[in-house]
Amino acid sequence: MNKSLDPRVNRLNIPTGELTPKVPLDQFGTFEVFVQIKEGKGYRHEGIVHAPNRDMAFLFAKEQFSRRFMCAGIFVVETRNVFVTAYTEDKDNIYSHISDTYPEDGEEEQYEIFHLEKRGKQHEHIGSVPAKNHQQALALAKPNFIDGDPIYNVWVVKTSDILFTEEEDKIMWNTLPEKKFRDASDYRAADKIKEFKERQA
Amino acid sequence: MYGGGNTFESIKATGLENEDPIKLAEFEARIERGEKIEPHDWMPQLYRKQLIRMIEQHAHSEIIGALPEGTWITRAPGFKRKLALMAKVQDEVGHAQLLYGAAETLGKPREQMLDDLVSGKSKYSNIFNYPAFTWADSCFISWLVDAGAIVNQLANARGSYGPYCRALERICAEESFHLKYGHHCVIHLATGTEKQREMMQAAINRWWAPMMHFFGPADKASVHSEILMRWKVKMSSNDEQRNQFLDMYVPKIWELGFTIPDPKLGKNEATGKWEYTEPDWEEFKRVINGDGPCNAERLAVRRTAEERGRWVRQALLAPKTQYVAPLA
Amino acid sequence: MNEITIKELLYKIADDQLILGHRNSEWTGFGPLLEEDIAFSSMAQDKVGQSQAMYQLLHELGEAEPDTVAFMRNEDQFHNCQLTELPNGEYDFSLIRHFLFDFAYAIRFEMLANSSYEPLAKLSKKIQGELRYHTMHANTWIKQLGSATEESISRLQNSLNEAMPYSLGIFEPSPYEAELKSEGIFEGEEVLKEKWLAKITDVINQTQLQMPDISTLTPKYGGRKGKHTEHLQPLLDEMAEVFRIDPTADW
Repeated sequence: MNKSLDPRVNRLNIPTGELTPKVPLDQFGTFEVFVQIKEGKGYRHEGIVHAPNRDMAFLFAKEQFSRRFMCAGIFVVETRNVFVTAYTEDKDNIYSHISDTYPEDGEEEQYEIFHLEKRGKQHEHIGSVPAKNHQQALALAKPNFIDGDPIYNVWVVKTSDILFTEEEDKIMWNTLPEKKFRDASDYRAADKIKEFKERQA
Repeated sequence: MYGGGNTFESIKATGLENEDPIKLAEFEARIERGEKIEPHDWMPQLYRKQLIRMIEQHAHSEIIGALPEGTWITRAPGFKRKLALMAKVQDEVGHAQLLYGAAETLGKPREQMLDDLVSGKSKYSNIFNYPAFTWADSCFISWLVDAGAIVNQLANARGSYGPYCRALERICAEESFHLKYGHHCVIHLATGTEKQREMMQAAINRWWAPMMHFFGPADKASVHSEILMRWKVKMSSNDEQRNQFLDMYVPKIWELGFTIPDPKLGKNEATGKWEYTEPDWEEFKRVINGDGPCNAERLAVRRTAEERGRWVRQALLAPKTQYVAPLA
Repeated sequence: MNEITIKELLYKIADDQLILGHRNSEWTGFGPLLEEDIAFSSMAQDKVGQSQAMYQLLHELGEAEPDTVAFMRNEDQFHNCQLTELPNGEYDFSLIRHFLFDFAYAIRFEMLANSSYEPLAKLSKKIQGELRYHTMHANTWIKQLGSATEESISRLQNSLNEAMPYSLGIFEPSPYEAELKSEGIFEGEEVLKEKWLAKITDVINQTQLQMPDISTLTPKYGGRKGKHTEHLQPLLDEMAEVFRIDPTADW
């Protein structure tokens, strides 16, 4: 290749030749990322990261979803571990479609419930419930939400499938407000323009 | 960073006769009401196809867009510039990540999109096929190419597809500092030494033509995409965006005492529209089809990055995983 | 308190952070996965930002402005250890260097958070949040790649063997060790090195990597006294290319 203007590119010593074959799933699977903006607020779905496992997903989510904005905590769960209900519209509450009967198999453990309360918005963490399986968790949540504002969609996740932020790791977000260079307010230059114009006049 | 209509490919409303008319009517009514379409909603094939193409091109433009500015990442003068440029180029990679995620909800895995990028099958914004010769070129990109992209992104954020709109909202919020940073850099060159001013003027001269190309072919030359407007896939025409950009930024360039290399450039106060020398659309086509100054390098770098990272990814791959499209 | 002692300490920390931050920033846009590209860039920014804060402390002690100090000196005036200036190589080397260096610095700042030199103690406390993420990142990557495939293990092992003598250079003794200790400024490089060794050995023992026998290695010293490999001066020339077009100009 010709010499690049980018010294970094020249150091890559790019070879010519064919692409080597790769194995499928080269980009890994996806994990859903939930962010808590500050202590006391609920966790909200923010997007996904591709990662080989939960620990990596957490590392990636921290920088991709909290390097710019306030953050008090993050959790990640593999997409295929999210149990998703059907979607409803208008005044139709999804819980009115949830059966009160459920399979009895499984050991009892904790499940987390997420609601979509407005079309076009993101899912929010509502709370948790002990249950034997996803369907039971949904059925147990039902009485609390059947009479309120319509819920359009519910995600249910087994708590043990989620990687949460450890309490002692929360200091990771302590330094963020110091990052002035990422802040638009740090780039005021009106005075320079004014002074320039006066010089020209 | 992404410009408007990128190619001359015609968009025909073919296949619509095969869609369920009732579902199609409900779909259009939903968009008409201003509601978002979500991944689980019914949508016509053409809508899905066009959105994948558009979001994917947008994502590619971010990841390739990291390269021309990245040219100066190790040479930014002073701490403030060094940190800001690092953060800015990082953001472009981050935006690609967000956009690939949005496109994936429509059913195309990221892996496929990255393959199509390095094989040259899918396109990205043409402007990134031009070289950044000096520090001032990187300042032009940070300020004006980003400004152009923001015109486009703010329009698209009002579009109909939920995951794309949410990604764009996040991107626009993160980008709030890019434009200010870019302007700040240019102001410093403009009001600095003679040498600095010359560097900046030369960069403007080099980048003006690609900048005019950035918003895509003139409306009269591009195939009318009425259906994409109706479905809120495309939110404003190429010429509208170009005009909006000129209206907002030409005065700011002139204010700094720079000239723009187009003797015909000026606003027609009667029509409110900017007039300019017709950009060279033949060059635009040539560059899009691979014959620009940096096409080969950009793809080679991307391909090398993918290849050099392969052992890392392969080492961590759990063999039994199955791909599942993300949810929202 | 002797200012020369403090300055020597601050300079080596600042130079280490700047040079490695600069090196790591070269990965931006070239990383093995988009997500990792972002994470690695953030940590590079943290390092450059931390170096700037250290140069600011030096400025308050009468040294030149941070920009001048960072962009106008030549290699013999830089006090970074040689580990930081080595080229990036492939991702295995960059990761191993990040692992070895960031664990050393997490411990260094933990120690300095109790320093009798108040401005440094304050700054070190602030930096700890950032370092927490860096070590978590390094830990996760080394544990995973260090126990994954034959290729990943042998790549990391080779990089570890190559980097180890250089990483011992992080702890090159200062001429002021006794004074730093007696004044309660810093417990010293030897204490730091012992803590570091325990920490990284613990991580490496959880992988299929072998900890090199450091008793047989000659540490790559010299960096702290301005003696560098052939890689530093080109790095500095590149970093300052624009700045030096006109050092008096406002960029």
